[in-house]
Amino acid sequence: MGSFKLGGMTFGSLFKKPETTLYPVETKPVPAGLKGHIHNDVEKCILCGICAKTCPCHTITVDKKNRKWAIDPFMCIQCSSCVYACPKDCLRMLPTCTPVSASQFCNVFEVPDPKNPKPAVTPSSPVKWDFSEPDQLGQLEK
Amino acid sequence: MGKSTIIPFGPQHPVLPEPLHLDLVVEDETVIDCIPQIGFVHRGLEKLVETRDYNQFIYVAERICGICAMGHSLGYAETVEALMGVEVPRRAEYLRVIWHELSRIHSHLLWLGLAADAFGFESMFMHCWRLRERVLDIFEKTTGGRVILSVVRVGGVNRDIDDAMLREIVSVLDGIKGDYAKIMNTLLTDTSVKNRTVGVGVISKEAALDLSMVGPFSRASDVPYDVRSFGRGAYGDLSDFQPVTDAQGDCFARVKVRCLEVLQSIEIIKELAAKIPAGDISVAVKGAPAEGAQASNVLEQPRGECYYYARGNGTKYLERMRMRTPTSQNLAGMATALKGCDLADVNMIVLTIDPCISCTER
Amino acid sequence: MPQFKQDFSPLSIEAIHDTAAARKAEGFRYVQTLAVNTEDGVDLVYSFMKDGALDNEVASGVPRDAVIPSITDLYLEAFVFENEIHDLFGVHFEGIAIDFGGNFYHLAVKEPMTIISPEQKAARDKARKIAAAKAAKEAKAKKAAEQGGAEAPAKAAAAEKAEAAADAAAKEAELEAKLAVMDPEKAAKVRAAMEAKAKKAAAAERKGE
Repeated sequence: MGSFKLGGMTFGSLFKKPETTLYPVETKPVPAGLKGHIHNDVEKCILCGICAKTCPCHTITVDKKNRKWAIDPFMCIQCSSCVYACPKDCLRMLPTCTPVSASQFCNVFEVPDPKNPKPAVTPSSPVKWDFSEPDQLGQLEK
Repeated sequence: MGKSTIIPFGPQHPVLPEPLHLDLVVEDETVIDCIPQIGFVHRGLEKLVETRDYNQFIYVAERICGICAMGHSLGYAETVEALMGVEVPRRAEYLRVIWHELSRIHSHLLWLGLAADAFGFESMFMHCWRLRERVLDIFEKTTGGRVILSVVRVGGVNRDIDDAMLREIVSVLDGIKGDYAKIMNTLLTDTSVKNRTVGVGVISKEAALDLSMVGPFSRASDVPYDVRSFGRGAYGDLSDFQPVTDAQGDCFARVKVRCLEVLQSIEIIKELAAKIPAGDISVAVKGAPAEGAQASNVLEQPRGECYYYARGNGTKYLERMRMRTPTSQNLAGMATALKGCDLADVNMIVLTIDPCISCTER
Repeated sequence: MPQFKQDFSPLSIEAIHDTAAARKAEGFRYVQTLAVNTEDGVDLVYSFMKDGALDNEVASGVPRDAVIPSITDLYLEAFVFENEIHDLFGVHFEGIAIDFGGNFYHLAVKEPMTIISPEQKAARDKARKIAAAKAAKEAKAKKAAEQGGAEAPAKAAAAEKAEAAADAAAKEAELEAKLAVMDPEKAAKVRAAMEAKAKKAAAAERKGE
């Protein structure tokens, strides 16, 4: 009796640890190599623009004049081709995924100039960039 | 003889994961003719090759189909390598095959679950997908993605698997094997499964050869055609490779062939994990394919032989990239198998072909 | 164990059906049909396979108004590809076993694969111009080397001029390619800026003279 064998397996599952997780309460442990989101170690970045050229979705904007490096996490497909292309190894893929958001934004990194170090603390944390306001989009493109 | 009626089947149907439409000409309860129609999810991905260079297009090729993602990126990369005369390091070939066989296991387990669901075997569906989850976890740990792996590049692979991870893969597969043997035993000995599948939708060996069918669909009709047996890449180092075949040609034979292929894939991965050589995982690819250069390639995907064609035009953008997927080859075979079956068996026959429509239309 | 090998061979349009019949008689398995859009028509590639030998037969330069005999009477499974090529490339097939009459794919644009996108055109033109510039450069260098002697300086100067012109042409092509990919508004702005620059340069030259 074939189905009885599976019945035994199904019955046994009653006494085992559940295969599923109670999602919002507990989350799955994240493996180290997970492709979550791109992070730029700004100290090493030379704003060469190779990452922007390699990106298949054109998500990266490199602004050499204003020393800004921006990525749109909502357009990114987590292929990590920019990470492999980077000549300075300043790009990394961190295992946390971009959280759900009500508005789209850009992660902008300000790259400090080694020749002209600013006395102020450079914000290495991503700045929220709201695309719903057209002014900011224009600034980024400039 | 009753009056003939045309019954539309699909594109939305509980048994179909993807939109396939069939016009079934029915007399009483018997299907006497069938016209398959696709064309609901054509996305023009082949046209995109003009706006993405040959390195970037690999991510488009991957997104043709979720289940065959690894196969499409591998087939595309092999074709471009043939076009540009790139020699891939041995270790990269092994890693590619390991991931490809893992994706075959996950595809077949997904299909087994769907098939069990189609004939009302809900608990089997749950068990199959529970095992499939473990394969997806391996993908997550080794490549960083669960379905879209983005691990193959033109000239090699992006990530290496270290020895500890290889051992872990083998032990996870051994764990799967125990549970899987029980599932397979049930599926192949249960009378209710046999009642639904034995003698349904029979395709003879002659018809299978005549209709150039590919994959498990043809192997269930005793056609021993498997691209893996050409021994290209790491498949050449396998001590013994014999395609899984069955002589019956009915739905039960197709279930059986796919069941046994999962075990075969587990054996292949274990053998390659033991034999894997050390070395580089990729070579740098420079330049662009020459104008007018063309290359073709075939690859055994979970659903059967997939054909790739590429033509260069002197720039880093390819002139043409083409994928011919196994399902488009099997559509005519499916229409033939449906002729003369009962209306109630249509969903079982359609499912045992394992149609992948989004692959077919791209 | 059969070995995989592939080859490409030419095929004339008239011989398509006869070749397919011959392949069928020899026991070949039908693999696929594909089309490539080129400047002199559409290339059709028919593939057959036997014992690991993949035989690709290329019928190149099929005119757009040609009528191709269908091979679905021999290989029924080709109906998918013939309907697809009809819808995407506009090649007409005669006598398809299951003919959808142009309704196989639900398309927004008619014959989308025959449209050459601006990006593709720009990339192709760029490659061609660069190749032409390279060839011109080489030819000039060869000529200069051959003639040599007393007239050499003048010739060399001329060659240099031609070289500079070729370089400029290549640069221009590159710029055009970039512009084609940009969105039209931005491209117009850049074009206007370039024109203004050229005018300024011309004015400065005139002043200098």
